[in-house]
Amino acid sequence: MKGVLTVMGRELRAFFFSPLAYIVAALLLVVNGLVFWLIVSYLNDPRAQFGAPLELFFGQTLYFWLVLLFVAPVLTMRLLSEERRSGTIEVLMTAPVTEGQVVTGKYLAALLFYCFLWLPTLAYPALLAHYGEVDWGPVVAGYLGVLGIGALFLSVGLLASSLTKSQLVAAILTFAMLIPLFTFGLLENLFSDAPIREVLSYLNLWQHMEEFGKGIVDTRHLVYYLSATVLFVFLSAKALESRKWR
Amino acid sequence: MIDAQGLTRRYGEFTAVDGISFTVDEGEIVGMLGPNGAGKTTTLRMITGFLPPTDGHLTVGGRDLFSDPVAARREVGYLPENVALYTEMRVSEYLRYRAMLEGLSRAKAGPRISETVKSCFLEEVEHQIIGTLSKGFRQRVGLAAAILHHPSVLVLDEPTVGLDPKQIIAIRELIRELGHKQTLLLSSHILPEVELLCDRVIIIDRGRIVAEGSPQDLQESWVGNTILRVELKGAPAEAPDVLRDLPGVVAVETLAGDPGCYRLECTKEADPRQAVFEAAKQRDWVVLELVREQASLEDIFVRLTTQEPGASPGLGEVFSAPQEEVPS
Repeated sequence: MKGVLTVMGRELRAFFFSPLAYIVAALLLVVNGLVFWLIVSYLNDPRAQFGAPLELFFGQTLYFWLVLLFVAPVLTMRLLSEERRSGTIEVLMTAPVTEGQVVTGKYLAALLFYCFLWLPTLAYPALLAHYGEVDWGPVVAGYLGVLGIGALFLSVGLLASSLTKSQLVAAILTFAMLIPLFTFGLLENLFSDAPIREVLSYLNLWQHMEEFGKGIVDTRHLVYYLSATVLFVFLSAKALESRKWR
Repeated sequence: MIDAQGLTRRYGEFTAVDGISFTVDEGEIVGMLGPNGAGKTTTLRMITGFLPPTDGHLTVGGRDLFSDPVAARREVGYLPENVALYTEMRVSEYLRYRAMLEGLSRAKAGPRISETVKSCFLEEVEHQIIGTLSKGFRQRVGLAAAILHHPSVLVLDEPTVGLDPKQIIAIRELIRELGHKQTLLLSSHILPEVELLCDRVIIIDRGRIVAEGSPQDLQESWVGNTILRVELKGAPAEAPDVLRDLPGVVAVETLAGDPGCYRLECTKEADPRQAVFEAAKQRDWVVLELVREQASLEDIFVRLTTQEPGASPGLGEVFSAPQEEVPS
């Protein structure tokens, strides 16, 4: 546990010391702020359909996904590839910590920083609550979805980062893995076979977020995120260990 | 402290380290010497637990690297070849991080860090960002981080590479000081360095130990017979016979293509320089050159490591490297 915390602590510092993290944070806030403003002004139009602003905010706009697909590779690309490139991995892996501890620590740091990125968006429901009524259930569910899907995306990025020495390759690889992960579910309507439709619907992240936004917490979705995340983190540890038998 | 038996490491088809066996006792300073690519770094990486051996048995500080890797790694302090540090951290932050990573408690880490900072002469840069430090200081930071947790074995891979002469002297002094307190294994391809610092030298080439012993031992056992080089003006015809009859001279070789030059092989203790001179004086020969050649560690090293594989008759006997067969 101590090993995990030590690695996590260092990684978190590295996040806060890197300009890239601030660029990502700024981008996320600008896009989210803009989307939120657009949603609110749209709903203020008397001719608009009735809707809850945060329901639309969570996952119902393409921006939400674009930002997520961009944030995950950028936050994770450095994690392990940089250690391998600079050679600090040698110091790290000769210290009395296991690959599992290193990978877990780094993953948790990325996840915490990701949560930190979303923290300012809590201002949106707070603003809405100031001027009107907010149904807090769907808001909490929405954030749960953001956390779950973010956790999944970050674990994919971690795995990519464990496979290469180059941050750029890691980022591109993450992107290449996230695109199918995200779009497979959207293909649902292209198939008429019931079993295939069911599998794809299980993987349909867009639909998942729609449900979370409405306040529906389907534990199957959470199990999917959690199990896939654990798998990817585990694979990252194995990839880090692979130097031993190469 | 380190006990390696039949250590082997293969990368795919390529065998980097080929069944080497050696031990390092407590308090010893052992130098591992070899040309680039001889397998030094691979050997050190196995000892530090970064790479597991493909074959063989390895214990460090009494702990088996296979069955108890994390505990074994705790026994080792390691300075890798290209001292890699997190350049965005301050020296003090980095040392704290390494202390935590080694499992020191927060209360213990503080005094340990200030003690190490002092012993590695890092006071002036303690709060500087590592990225702004010179190579010499970085090396010292790496060394400080390696000794923070008081490891029972300190492993240094090419500790002076890339430093300027002044920095090299400073690092060497630091190493020598550490060597008084600690078991130390260092690798180098610089001979004088090893000669200067180490109690014992292990010469490796192509993944095998080709010689092992103290610098003096190596010198003595290799030198074997003393060699005299004599050059006489005009190359007198009877010179070889006269020289051969001198006391202590075993054989005389006339150097081809160099008339008047002779190579005298003498018994180990003999020093027939005076006899050569007197013999020449008697016959009015003019001595142009009279040199005693002594094999330096450098010669030994070069000879040992430039031999074609399989073409080294007698070398094994000369050094009697304790190289047992690998139990397979």
